[in-house]
Order: sequence, then structure tokens, then C-alpha cells
Amino acid sequence: MADDRTTAYAEALFAVARAEGPLAEIEDELFRVAQVVRGNDELRDKLADPHIPVATRQQIVVDLLGGKAQPATTNLVSLVVGNGRVRDLPAIVDALVSKAAQEANKEVAEVRSAIPLTDDQRSRLADALGKATGKQVEVKVIVDPSIKGGIIAQVGDTVIDGSIRRRLDQLKHAL
Amino acid sequence: MRRFRLLLAAAAVVFVGLFGFARPGFAQTAPPEGTTPTSAAPAEGELSHSAQECIEQIESANSIDVDCQKAPNPMVPEKNEVIWGFVGFAVVFGLIAWKGLPAIKAGMNARTERIQGDLDAAESQRTEADTLLVEYRAQLADARNESARIIEEARQAADDVKRTLAARAESDIAEMRSRATADIESAKVQAIADLRGEVANLAIGAAEQVVERNLDRETNVALVESFINQVGAKN
Repeated sequence: MADDRTTAYAEALFAVARAEGPLAEIEDELFRVAQVVRGNDELRDKLADPHIPVATRQQIVVDLLGGKAQPATTNLVSLVVGNGRVRDLPAIVDALVSKAAQEANKEVAEVRSAIPLTDDQRSRLADALGKATGKQVEVKVIVDPSIKGGIIAQVGDTVIDGSIRRRLDQLKHAL
Repeated sequence: MRRFRLLLAAAAVVFVGLFGFARPGFAQTAPPEGTTPTSAAPAEGELSHSAQECIEQIESANSIDVDCQKAPNPMVPEKNEVIWGFVGFAVVFGLIAWKGLPAIKAGMNARTERIQGDLDAAESQRTEADTLLVEYRAQLADARNESARIIEEARQAADDVKRTLAARAESDIAEMRSRATADIESAKVQAIADLRGEVANLAIGAAEQVVERNLDRETNVALVESFINQVGAKN
């Protein structure tokens, strides 16, 4: 559960992203950056290291995202790093995504896939999940090779696991 | 004190009787020179009556071997000496019987009473000693019984402890054996489970390698499409 500070950062980033636009793209880029920070301890520790000057850490962000993401995305991540809140970045972005979905009257579906999805696949997957859950769904894709193949979708508390990883686990339990 | 006076009086009477009335006995002798013969003694030149009788006996017996010719026995006292001795003895005996005997009797009675008292006291003490001896023997017997009881109790306690320890040891051994059996069984089950898990891991690892080797992009896309179709087909 996001605390007040996380919520405040999320609302601030959301406001900036909506003001700078495009909101959906910035939100998606922030989501992916947050997933990278969450899964990469070395990067997270480096960006959170107080012994490294703030400018150096922000330069690392610029070097990673410059030219590959929206300038607003780079600036927002730099802002969070500059304020020493990079460890809270995943929670902030989660709160931001939830807020964006809430603004659009949608539910966020966190989808893990072994390969990147095309826009068409995202659209059809959002429709399928909307039918399955009875809600308007906004798909956020996380490329996760560890699931080997297939898709894991989580909408709220509902998890739909169609991954090869799950089947292998089932086979392992059966053995 | 009274007894002492009586004994002194008795001793005085005996002394008087012995030395006051008795005279030393003399054999038949001529009166000493210078003394006047008694009135019964014959005059000088005359034979005494006894001599005349002796002569007559010799003449009648026509032998000199008669009694009067024999020398008198120096051990036989004179008649008067015997009489006076007897009288003195009787007086002394009477005095003793009159004055000394009661005192002696009283002394004897007192001594008897004292001895009897001593005997009674000794008897009492002996009885008391016997009583004490009986008590001591009873106490000794009680002590022996008590010691025997204590020894018996100690022996029983030792037996109980021994039995308890033996039972506990047996229980411990049984528990250890049971635990060891359970441990062995658990280890066996665990080993089987581990082996099964290892086999499963190996199988899964092999399966993963096969899947990864065969899971190309097209297959992954097909899996994604399959997932989308299945989720969409639920409603």
C-alpha cells in the first residue's frame, strides 16, 4: 500500500506526464523503467548510492534513457533519482499507473510475457481480459524471459497464468 | 555409743572373771618353807591320811603298783580351781547373758537390719538395674528393630530407585530406539523425497532445455495468441 509520500510523488509525476504528454507513452515508459529498477539490484543501488554525486546519478539516467524515451520520462526519473527516492520508484510508478487507470475508469492488467507484444496483441489481450474480468482493462506488459513462454496476466487479485513456467512447475509437482 | 559402753562393760566383767577369781593351778606340792601348814595338814612326824591310805593299798595289794603311788597328772586342775573357775565362768556368762547378750543381740539385730537394708537396697538396686537392663535391652531391641527397619527401608528405597532407573533406562532405550527408527524412517522418506525431487529437477531441467531449444519466436507468438484466444473465449 502506497504511503502518503509515494502517493504525492505519483500524483506529481502524473500531473507532469499529463501536462507534458503523451501521457500513455510516458506512463508506459515509466512503468518499464520501474520494472527494470525493481529487477536490477546493481542499477538500483548505484542510483541510490549517496556517495555518488546527484549529478552523476542523474547523468546515468540520462545516459540510459536519452534518445530512447520521452524527455519528460527522463526528466521525471532524474527528478526521483535527484531526490534520493529511486528505491521508491517502482511503488511510485505503480501508484501513478493505478491513478491513470482510475482516471480513465480502467483497471491495470500487469502482463508478463516472454516476448514483447505487438500493439495488436495488446489490444486483443486487453479486450480478452476485459471480457474475462468484466472491467475496462489497461495492459502493462513486462517482458520476463523467466516464464519461458506464454503469458501471466494479473488484474487486481485475479491471476491468469498461461505460462510455460507454470506448466513446468505443475509437471515438477506431479513428479 | 551405747553399744560401745556395753561392750566395755562386758570386757570388764570378763577381765574380772578371768583374773579376779581364777588362781593358777598347782600340782600337789609341799607347802613352801616358812609357811604355816593348814589345819588339815598332818603334824611333823605323822603320816598324812592319804599316805596312810596308800600304805594300806600297797599292803593289801602286796604290790607297789597302786594308784596312790602314781604321780598326779599336771594337766588336771585342782577341784577348787575347777569350782571357782566354773563359778567365775557362770558369773561371767550370766553377766554377759544379762548385759552383753541384749547389746550383742541389739548390735546383731542392727547389723542384721543394716545388712538386710543393704541387701534390700542392693535388691532394689538390682531390681532397678534389672529394670534398667530390661529397658536397655528393650531400647536396644527397639534400636535394632529401628535400624533394621531403616536398613530395610533404605534397601527398599534403593530397590525402588534401581527399578525406577532401570525402567527409565529401558524407557529411554525404547524411546531412543523408537526415535532412531523414526529418524531412519524419516531419513529414508526424506532421501526418497530428495531423490524424487532430484529426479524431478533433472527431468524438469531436461524438459526446460528441450522447451528452450524448441521454443522459438513463432512458438512463443503462437502461445500468446493461444492465451489471448482462451481468455477471450471464457465469456
